[in-house]
Amino acid sequence: MSNSLTLAAAPRSEAAEAVRAEVRGFLAAELAAGAFTTHVDTWLSGVDPAFSRKLGERGWLGMTWPRRYGGHERSAMERYAVTEELLAAGAPVAAHWIADRQSGPALLRYGTEEQRQSILPRIAAGECYFVIGMSEPDSGSDLASIRTRAVRNSAGDWVVNGAKVWTSNAHASHYAITLVRSSPADPSDRHAGLSQLLVDLSLPGIAINPIRILDGGHHFNEVVFTDVVVPGDMLLGTEGAGWHQVTAELAFERSGPERFLSTYPLVAEFARRLVASPDPAALATLGRLSARLLALRQMSLRIAAALDRGELPDIPAALVKDVGTTFEGDVIEEIRRVVDVSPSMDSPDPLARAMAEAQLHAPGYTLRGGTNEILRGIVARGLGLR
Amino acid sequence: MTNQDLVVETVRNILGGFPPVVLTADRPWDAGLWSTLAAAGLTGVGLPESSGGSGGDLVDAVAVVRTLAAGAAAVPVAEQLLVAGPAVVAADLDLPSVDEPLTFAVASEVVAHPSDDGDGPGRWTLSGTATGVAWAGVARHVAVLTSSAVGPVLALADVGGLHAGSAANLAGEPRGALLLDGVVASGALLTPAQAQALRARFALARAVQLGAALEQVLAWTVQYAGERHQFGRPLGKFQAIQMELAEMAGEVTAVTAVTDAAVQALERESRDVVLAAAAAKVRAGAAVEVVARLAHQVHGAIGFTQEHKLHHLTRRLWSWRDEAGSDLAWSRVLGAGLLADGPDALWPALTRVV
Repeated sequence: MSNSLTLAAAPRSEAAEAVRAEVRGFLAAELAAGAFTTHVDTWLSGVDPAFSRKLGERGWLGMTWPRRYGGHERSAMERYAVTEELLAAGAPVAAHWIADRQSGPALLRYGTEEQRQSILPRIAAGECYFVIGMSEPDSGSDLASIRTRAVRNSAGDWVVNGAKVWTSNAHASHYAITLVRSSPADPSDRHAGLSQLLVDLSLPGIAINPIRILDGGHHFNEVVFTDVVVPGDMLLGTEGAGWHQVTAELAFERSGPERFLSTYPLVAEFARRLVASPDPAALATLGRLSARLLALRQMSLRIAAALDRGELPDIPAALVKDVGTTFEGDVIEEIRRVVDVSPSMDSPDPLARAMAEAQLHAPGYTLRGGTNEILRGIVARGLGLR
Repeated sequence: MTNQDLVVETVRNILGGFPPVVLTADRPWDAGLWSTLAAAGLTGVGLPESSGGSGGDLVDAVAVVRTLAAGAAAVPVAEQLLVAGPAVVAADLDLPSVDEPLTFAVASEVVAHPSDDGDGPGRWTLSGTATGVAWAGVARHVAVLTSSAVGPVLALADVGGLHAGSAANLAGEPRGALLLDGVVASGALLTPAQAQALRARFALARAVQLGAALEQVLAWTVQYAGERHQFGRPLGKFQAIQMELAEMAGEVTAVTAVTDAAVQALERESRDVVLAAAAAKVRAGAAVEVVARLAHQVHGAIGFTQEHKLHHLTRRLWSWRDEAGSDLAWSRVLGAGLLADGPDALWPALTRVV
């Protein structure tokens, strides 16, 4: 197998297990106190700034970042344990999720000292939230075709015009790392002339319009920029290097446990049902789903370990996301084959509610963060086929 | 170069002289390969020198088994190095010469009775038939997990002179029955937990073989897609083929990750080794459906013939996934084991197993 797909086994981390126990205790107490209720896919839909601040107070955001930026200098393996516990509990983590996962690391990697100092401590405190400004109405998988333009004015500021879509929780966030075309398209190099801007979403000229998803929830938005003046010092990284920077960001975006645990709360309800009414076929189904989940954990842990070694495993990350998001959807079909359940948001049965949430969110699993077709193209490159 | 790299290179060099053969009742194994491996000390890897083995760790033995599995080698090395050998040593029984093939069988229908043949304690008389025995008729000795009035017994029987049934798996590997009535064997009582751990070891051995064979099938298929041209281009340049190969790669990577983790669990003597092995076996079995199907699809008609090498591994994959305990049986063991601590214990169990 091609080396670009193969990662070394992850060592067991005692530190990760220690913080896992802390998080588990915290979540049990929060659940008992009614501070949140468990839902499916909460890293998209569970916006709760108060909860995010509690995580910040406990040091569970910005975990791997340097202390001078409000971080905690812990390992990617420890961060992995924290995020996976939060997801398994279906906790409301959406407010800070993007900022903690990829915007902060992007700032650390490419940001100016001033940008880092002004923003990173607020992210780590659970107070500052980010959205991803990549997709546009006419640019989905073909990201390099974006048309949002940024032009320098005489004062050295950027004037931005265009529109971004599917920007999850823009209405509840502070910044968008926005991929813009900063110089005219070059037919000989489609990836040239793109830049990333740190755009304050409260700037004049920005309109945030809701787009409702299948369950009626408001997470998506269209963000329209009309002559928005972005200060010149809010360029992220290097002008014209936007494509390279975005690619690096995706290694973080694609490899985490949220790429296979979005529907875990449904599995947990299935397990509760099974204990109450045992059934051999359903037990085998739980075994099969668990075997897939355990393999995905090991794959994702290998990536966390590679990040700790300073690697940027973008191809293995694409592969984990393909396998993981396929699993998220399969969970629904596997469970409904062996359990009598009619999905409904209004059911008194928690299994029926979890099934309903999982089903209505299901089309998104294999789209967001790069469609599985795009991911398989990346994997094929790793296999040496293109 | 690590010790394992060296071991792998040695096995590969030997394998180069023994390409896979179509197994038949007349030629049920590769005796020449076995004696070459034995002469190189490779049939004792991972077994202690004090017991007559060649020394080395579990990971060295796994490396040997993986390399031979990827080469579709028709020798009982997985059984000897990963299951029967370690079990015999752990039970304080005398390990037979590692130059002679030793296999493993789970035979709940075989009963062991304490023997009064005058050789003292630790001797058992067996009754009943062990069915589906890997390498029956080939192996000189079998370590057989039987029942007795006082609990599970691991019996070590010399079966060199016994008639073996001629049943085989889908790849032609011998899986016949052994009539053990009246056979006197050395043996040791096991606790039920030890017996279950031994079944799990057997399952993990098959998972290791599955993982290696799956990786090899992917490699062959990627290579073929690069060589075979249609419509003026290599198959691998077609997006439809790339999607299939990427899907195969995802399955293979998943199996490798969980199987490696289960081997680590065995190595550190984790109390969850049964569930870890079950997870590896079930995950590997699930990958077989996808990988074998797509490998054949990409290879086209030539892969559906014995003229091409692909069948040596795909036929094994289709058999191995339901050997050493079926996919269904291990799925249930895993499901039940993960729920053992109650309705809210699934997640803690999942994060503990591997």
